[in-house]
Amino acid sequence: MARWGMVIDLNKCTGCAECVTACKVENNVAVVGKDESEMGRTMLWMDILTHYEGEYPNTKVRYLPRPCLQCDNPPCTKVCPVRATYLDPEGIVAQIFPQCIGCRYCMAACPYTVKSFNWYEPHWPQEMAAALNPDVSARPAGVVEKCTFCVHRLQKAKEQADSENRELQDNEYIPACAEDCPTQAISFGDLDSPHSEVSELIRSPRIFTLLEELGTEPKVYYLSEIE
Amino acid sequence: MQKNDLLEKDRDLFYSIEHTGPAFYWMVGLLMTILAFALFTYIIQIKFGLGITGLAQPISWGFYIVNFVFFIGISHAGTLISAILRLSKAEWRRPITRMAEVITAIVLAIGGLHPIIDQGQPERILHLVTSGRLQSPLLWDVTSITAYFAASTVYLYLPLIPDIAILRDRGTKPRWLYQFLSWGWQGTERQKKILERAINILMVMVIPIAVSVHTVISYIFAMTIQPGWHSTIFGPYFVAGAIFSGIAALLIVMIAFRKVYHLERYLKEIHFKYLSTLLLIMSLIWFYFTFSEYLTTFYGHEPDEMKVFFYKFTGDFSPYFWIMVICNFIIPVGILSNSKTRNITGIFIASVCVLIGMWLERLIIVVPSLANPRLEYPTGIYIPTLTEWALFAGGVAVFILGFLIFAKYFPLISIWEIEEGRETSISEVAHRLSSYLPDDVEQDEIKKILK
Amino acid sequence: MEKKSIFILQIASIVYIWIFVIAVDVWILSLLNVAKKLNDAINASVAIGILAIPLFITIAGILTYVFVGLQKNKV
Repeated sequence: MARWGMVIDLNKCTGCAECVTACKVENNVAVVGKDESEMGRTMLWMDILTHYEGEYPNTKVRYLPRPCLQCDNPPCTKVCPVRATYLDPEGIVAQIFPQCIGCRYCMAACPYTVKSFNWYEPHWPQEMAAALNPDVSARPAGVVEKCTFCVHRLQKAKEQADSENRELQDNEYIPACAEDCPTQAISFGDLDSPHSEVSELIRSPRIFTLLEELGTEPKVYYLSEIE
Repeated sequence: MQKNDLLEKDRDLFYSIEHTGPAFYWMVGLLMTILAFALFTYIIQIKFGLGITGLAQPISWGFYIVNFVFFIGISHAGTLISAILRLSKAEWRRPITRMAEVITAIVLAIGGLHPIIDQGQPERILHLVTSGRLQSPLLWDVTSITAYFAASTVYLYLPLIPDIAILRDRGTKPRWLYQFLSWGWQGTERQKKILERAINILMVMVIPIAVSVHTVISYIFAMTIQPGWHSTIFGPYFVAGAIFSGIAALLIVMIAFRKVYHLERYLKEIHFKYLSTLLLIMSLIWFYFTFSEYLTTFYGHEPDEMKVFFYKFTGDFSPYFWIMVICNFIIPVGILSNSKTRNITGIFIASVCVLIGMWLERLIIVVPSLANPRLEYPTGIYIPTLTEWALFAGGVAVFILGFLIFAKYFPLISIWEIEEGRETSISEVAHRLSSYLPDDVEQDEIKKILK
Repeated sequence: MEKKSIFILQIASIVYIWIFVIAVDVWILSLLNVAKKLNDAINASVAIGILAIPLFITIAGILTYVFVGLQKNKV
């Protein structure tokens, strides 16, 4: 069985936030207003963390795109009281929106703070509301959501392969952020398959994962910048 | 005949049941209004979602969880203290145990509702029934709070049976209620034995259950790997804090109802002095735990932990942190260790301070860890809205209301235990004391002393 | 007549307590079953089950003991 993983090359990332936008559109992530956003209720499945180094004028800005890290040992699924989040056999940490009771324990337990909560009924600007992605279920108010590696794309790709009576091929399933990245900084694929791009990339000496010391074993890897 | 004399002696204890003044109705009306307002805000919250609270990301837990921990903490006043005092045969417990047990039952019901208030989808609480995960600390809570609620209501009810029978025999209305609840109690030897046995079993059982409840609540935080939460001493730290706030709540309730229902004959200065000694000890224990918790963090100086540490000591939460230290340690120890200030007023001030301090402690545990995520996110400040304050006020109102209604129908001081104390405890204690002494005191001598 | 209805009420309350306790225990057992089916850390659930199930039965047992004992030993 596949073990889906992602490698983000920070050397290629320009911080353009195309991945953030692609993700929001793909997954019907709600758009909150300015006031809400200032309160800290922005909903982003893919976020870009900014890190400033040095004193002006010798500053350096570093960007770090952050989807859900899809841990192999996820602290969030352990604490869920109702199995609304679990590690599926292909290594994706899934969210079941109709099952979530909205206790937000998983949000509190996630060391990467990747989860968002629907504080209100989600809504979009009128132009966008007409163009929601039909493959991704809408969320009601009061449930937790996060990046799912665009798991609906996996389902679609599998169905396609099934109907054509063949195995799923490499690069047939790829999340929106990886697909849309203009500098191709995001690679995606099966970590266990010896020929996939990601399995070659994770052998690079530049490879690292976020907060490795916690033992959460993320399946989103980063390639460090070359100075 | 003699029985009636005794009851005549204790007529103060029936006062709250048999005389209901306008003040009572005004008070109930006021509390109902507060409660109605709280319910109203809650309905609005259900309609619009948790967005109307001050919660956001990453501070996704706030007042509701703080109050959950706080109220459940107070519940330790009751059953635990009453069980320990009963178990250790502390004779001065007699007028105290009932009030302590009532606190537990009411506060547990309030606290237990808070996680539901906090839920984004409250009607999905049924998912716990169909597909709950016993591996989640939240389910440990559900189980242990249910067990504690069941055990402590039974533990409140059983010693109430003889008193209910007294009320039944006096013909207090509604008669059917007392007839129903007294289970044909007539005070026969055999019945007394059965009741005593049941109370003894329960009181031993209830202590570990009570300890488990707050341990498990601390595990909600301690089982995660978040800085400031992932601590091995959280279990005992929470239990100690719970007993601490519980004693403070008990003292406040005792002082208030002593004044309102004129119970000065029963709740004497000595009871307050003994209980306040316990409060003083718990204050010292609380300080010890807090000290070890933060010193180990500071000495290790792990960067993520230190972010939370400085957020509490010098950052946004420092006012609350230092007020907590003053309220939980400096004021109570200052007042209670000085015999001049250790009077009812002093004890009242110390207890109120402790309640404020312990509430702040829960706030300081819940919010700063969430406000300092490990990765670099912009974080706001948590400012609770009117909704959260209203529901907090509602919780407090239910507590007082519950107490008033209980006092309307049942005696707040155990009548039969007071009587039993008058009849048998003096000679029992004399015998017990003589058995402590190195040389056996003759039975005749005890009798002489008793006369 | 009143005596009889109160007696029925009392019996009903004992029955109610047992229904409650059995319901809690059945609930815990069913959760164990789900955990086993989904292969989701069953041992943790078993530990809680072992503690909780007898506990609730004991509480109901004590209450029944008192109720029956008091009724039986009326003069």
